[in-house]
Amino acid sequence: MSLQNEEAEVIFKIKRYSPEKGSYWQEYKLKVDRFTQVTEALRRIKSEQDPTLAYRASCHMAVCGSCGMRINGEPRLACKTLVLDMVKKYGSNVITIEPMDYFKPVKDLIVDLDDFYQRMYKVKPRLYPHKEVLEGKAEHRLKPEDQRELWKFAQCIWCGLCVSACPSVKMDSEFLGPAAHAKGYRFLADPRDTITEERLKILLDSAWRCTYCYMCYNVCPRDIEPVTAIKKTRAYTKLVKEKTPVIATGEKHIEAIHNSIMETGKLDEAKVYLSTYGLLESIKDFIYLFQSGKVKYALVKEKPVENISEIRKILSGENK
Amino acid sequence: MEKVSYDAVVVGAGLAGLMAAHEIASAGYSVAVISKVFPTRSHSSAAEGGIAAYIPGNSDPNDSPDYMAYDTIKGGDYLVDQDAAELLAYKSGEIVNLLERWGTLFNRQPDGRIAVRYFGGQTYPRTRFVGDKTGMALLHTVYERTSGLGNVDFYFEWFAWELVRDESRVRGVIAFDMRNMLPVFFKAKAIVMASGGMGMLYRHTTNSYINTGDGYAMALRAGVALKDPEFVQFHPTALYPSDILISEAARGEGAVLRNAKGERFMARYAPKKLDLAPRDIVSRAILTEIKEGRGFPGGYVGLDLTHLGEDYIKERLALAYEAAKNFAGVDATKEMIPVRPAQHYYMGGIDVDITGKNSDLIGLFAAGEAACVSVHGANRLGSNSLLETLVFGRETGKTVVEFLKGYTEPSSDIDKEAEKAVDSAYEVIKSESGVHFGEILEKLRDVMWDYVGVFRDENGLKTALSEIMKLREEAKKVYVLDKSKVYNTEFYNALELKNMLDLALVIAQSALNRKESRGAHYRLDYPERDDQNWLKHTIAYLRGNTVEIGYKPVKMTKWKPEARVY
Amino acid sequence: MSYAYYPGCATHGLSKDVDIATRKVFEALGLKLVEVTDWNCCGGGFYDEKDEVGHVALNLRNLSIVERMGFEKMVTPCSVCLHSHRLAVHKYKENKDLRRKVDERIKGTSIRYSGKANAEHIVWILVRDVGIQKIKERVKRPLTGLKVGAYYGCQMLRPEEIMGFEPAFNPHSLEDLIAATGATPVTFPAARSCCGFPLMGSNPQVGIKLAFNVLKSAKDQGADILVHPCSLCHLQLDSLQFKIKAEFNLNWTLPAIYITQLLGLAFGFSADELGISNLAKQVLAQKGVI
Repeated sequence: MSLQNEEAEVIFKIKRYSPEKGSYWQEYKLKVDRFTQVTEALRRIKSEQDPTLAYRASCHMAVCGSCGMRINGEPRLACKTLVLDMVKKYGSNVITIEPMDYFKPVKDLIVDLDDFYQRMYKVKPRLYPHKEVLEGKAEHRLKPEDQRELWKFAQCIWCGLCVSACPSVKMDSEFLGPAAHAKGYRFLADPRDTITEERLKILLDSAWRCTYCYMCYNVCPRDIEPVTAIKKTRAYTKLVKEKTPVIATGEKHIEAIHNSIMETGKLDEAKVYLSTYGLLESIKDFIYLFQSGKVKYALVKEKPVENISEIRKILSGENK
Repeated sequence: MEKVSYDAVVVGAGLAGLMAAHEIASAGYSVAVISKVFPTRSHSSAAEGGIAAYIPGNSDPNDSPDYMAYDTIKGGDYLVDQDAAELLAYKSGEIVNLLERWGTLFNRQPDGRIAVRYFGGQTYPRTRFVGDKTGMALLHTVYERTSGLGNVDFYFEWFAWELVRDESRVRGVIAFDMRNMLPVFFKAKAIVMASGGMGMLYRHTTNSYINTGDGYAMALRAGVALKDPEFVQFHPTALYPSDILISEAARGEGAVLRNAKGERFMARYAPKKLDLAPRDIVSRAILTEIKEGRGFPGGYVGLDLTHLGEDYIKERLALAYEAAKNFAGVDATKEMIPVRPAQHYYMGGIDVDITGKNSDLIGLFAAGEAACVSVHGANRLGSNSLLETLVFGRETGKTVVEFLKGYTEPSSDIDKEAEKAVDSAYEVIKSESGVHFGEILEKLRDVMWDYVGVFRDENGLKTALSEIMKLREEAKKVYVLDKSKVYNTEFYNALELKNMLDLALVIAQSALNRKESRGAHYRLDYPERDDQNWLKHTIAYLRGNTVEIGYKPVKMTKWKPEARVY
Repeated sequence: MSYAYYPGCATHGLSKDVDIATRKVFEALGLKLVEVTDWNCCGGGFYDEKDEVGHVALNLRNLSIVERMGFEKMVTPCSVCLHSHRLAVHKYKENKDLRRKVDERIKGTSIRYSGKANAEHIVWILVRDVGIQKIKERVKRPLTGLKVGAYYGCQMLRPEEIMGFEPAFNPHSLEDLIAATGATPVTFPAARSCCGFPLMGSNPQVGIKLAFNVLKSAKDQGADILVHPCSLCHLQLDSLQFKIKAEFNLNWTLPAIYITQLLGLAFGFSADELGISNLAKQVLAQKGVI
């Protein structure tokens, strides 16, 4: 076994910022090989060419979450990115590096992450076990499958990439964002936690504000799937009595979908619409549909699934 | 200069620092935690393999805390203070159970108890783990918990620069707010140094970029001794070329080392334990193989996982598999992983006793990698570091609480001392020309790796000393180009360089003085362990440009030194 | 060459024109679309939030039927249906705990999934299996001068590891198809941002803002019209044009049509044959295309 290496000269186009100069681009040339990570490239630029370049990086092994930035427009950890891999992917030896989106840049590639930290603190990111358990007087064991499920969401390294890439975060100040939901769900679903009611008050309304665009899933360097945590959080809706408008609409919608599939195996759009929004909203939107010339389709009845009993069986959840 | 007052200030927000802070704050005292990074970025997060613990009812029936202490003492080549090893072992179960109750998601056995596995140097399996990311899991749990206490103030992205002291006591620490270079004098009754390790002194290290040994240098400059500074641990399997740690757990789970000929060469160096021999033995074995021409071109050997099967690798060795794939483009289910040794851990540190107290400066405490108790002696066993940070972080916290109870306020005014510390930092900003920090740093890292590394000898160490002295002289000309006050990383890098040059001198001198080989300190010219003359701790002070070395006896309780054969 | 065809509920419902146009284009290319026998809803991109196990089972049912029909590729014009099936397959293969539960749930049903079949987007078939060259050869009416925004949306691209066809951050399948028709592809910043459809189920005010952002972004880059690859984006961006106009008080609209509607026009079909909306027809007429 031998290891083939390759070298190339790469141009790093870095978006810098300082309060005095504002934003500006600066280019650096560097020779790299097959193994050079972007963090190593930045370190060499700083040590050999320009000591003023500012960026965050520490562990260089994707576990501390410091080095989130945009590389060729992609939100990535710099340490988890091999320079030549990006050169090959984009077919160019110019690599563009910018700070993460959404957060305010404070110096070069360093952004202000207070917004991110505040979101995490809001979800009470710690276990609140029973008093006797905490004092060591009782034991509350965890099943292996529970450990696996929770550990998936507990691996968050607070890198901020998901929040920086999330469209709902930008649009909706009530939405906590993907990372906070992954963190929140990890504790919500922990059988040893005792403040479930409080957590639901914090998490549930926000969980219905996600647009399922899978951007967080796509950028997460630890494969956490925040959107999955959000979906699982929504499943707790039936436990909550006080429902905000967003929760109520969301719940009606999912119930309407469930009922439609249970009835015909397919989605009857008109029925789903009516059940979710009620008659008044539906009439308003009907008018827009009419203007668009879509009404003729609304009147078409779709053939239901013949083997509907099979559908009902697999959705009933009960299996003898 | 702005001043703030706290009962205790903890420098470093890794596991040791946070545990100490948690303990002190839970007793009702005000605590400030200063860290140059956000707490979850601390290097504790990089620890992978696990945490050793003897848990009654959940350990091998033949195991015991005494056995665990014995393994630790033997692994440390008998330089371990045996009362410290006993404390570590006896408290291990308690601390793991505590962290479990706080929510750390340890891997489980089918009946729900915490799972356990082998690790290098252990006679019975003791290591508890959270996948391959035990350090990260523990760090996050402890930070989550500590951040929920009302009386801990976190100052993250603040650079602690200098201790402020009077004739006998430490009075506080100067730190800069990295966002705007604002210097603040943190007045404190007690200071806990928990600033971690110093890997960046070496060309090859598994450590993070932030591990520049700041705490050791601050202590040295405040007239405090380091204990056993010559003992630097090298990890045998760091991924080539990024030096990312490939956990010992891989070998614990069945991976084997092969040279370029495909031989399992460990049979020649550790016939009984083979690939699971302690780290120093494996490191020297690999470097010998490479030196004698049986390594791959480029200087590395292979870590072979291919016989373990894809499912097993992906479940138990996810991080090693990912690391090889993400950081070297290698598929470990099909190919060997290229590895070589790299600096990994620092056994030396601020001289403290088993309670975490330093005797040179009243009010100064230390815990974690920054401290030398000494619980690891000449060589640290895997999964003992995480344990040390938690056990001694907590014990030190308890000691601080007792100290604070009996504290009387001193009367002298030390504001002038504080101002001096800030001025010493600003020197690099004032100059308009000179040398960039990078020019000196790169040379220092090569000097340390070449001459104060895995293999040492008199000529090499003398060369190292003279090179380091030259670099210290040159470093007086360091200046920063970036004159801005906002996140001036160049400024902090220059200060880190000063710290590294202080520490490097002490390490090289202490290594030169110790004319024997013990644990991780290997002298080609003195290859045997010499208990007659050298069963003692090195105590080193930095006085200007001179290292003043003395010695202290090792505390022995139950175990007499034996030959270290595996 | 024939493919198993999964229209999805929207494509047979309010986005029926997507079905019509897709069938016409595939026919023109000499490809047969065989509708999946007795297919069921994929869950609409929502069902897994109610019942994760049931969601996987629903999607595996379709794929098991596809295997029985003798196919491995199940092509669909709806990105959400595509995503739902591929996600279900991914989960079933990767998550052992979930797999056990799914197997338990489907005991006694006709579902037998071997792991071979999976969903594919019709765009992937057009670009990869048919090829741009063949598509160019079928163009009878080049859409010269028409500036077409290439809108991808989310579900066809992300997550990259599950969709697997093109890089999630710099795809170009739609630009390639647009260029093949003779029209000018227009890239715009919001080309890969969510249209907001999933959010309409719980927080429609923000959902519609997302749709507005997409249209505005394309308009600002000079697009005359926008193409997209999803029956549900179709609902959001086409059907709700007037709602968006009213909501944001706009003096412009940017019509959105499905990718096969654009291809169909280039192949010589009329706008009415393809079910193209009145709004789009107006713009197409203005630009001299029809």
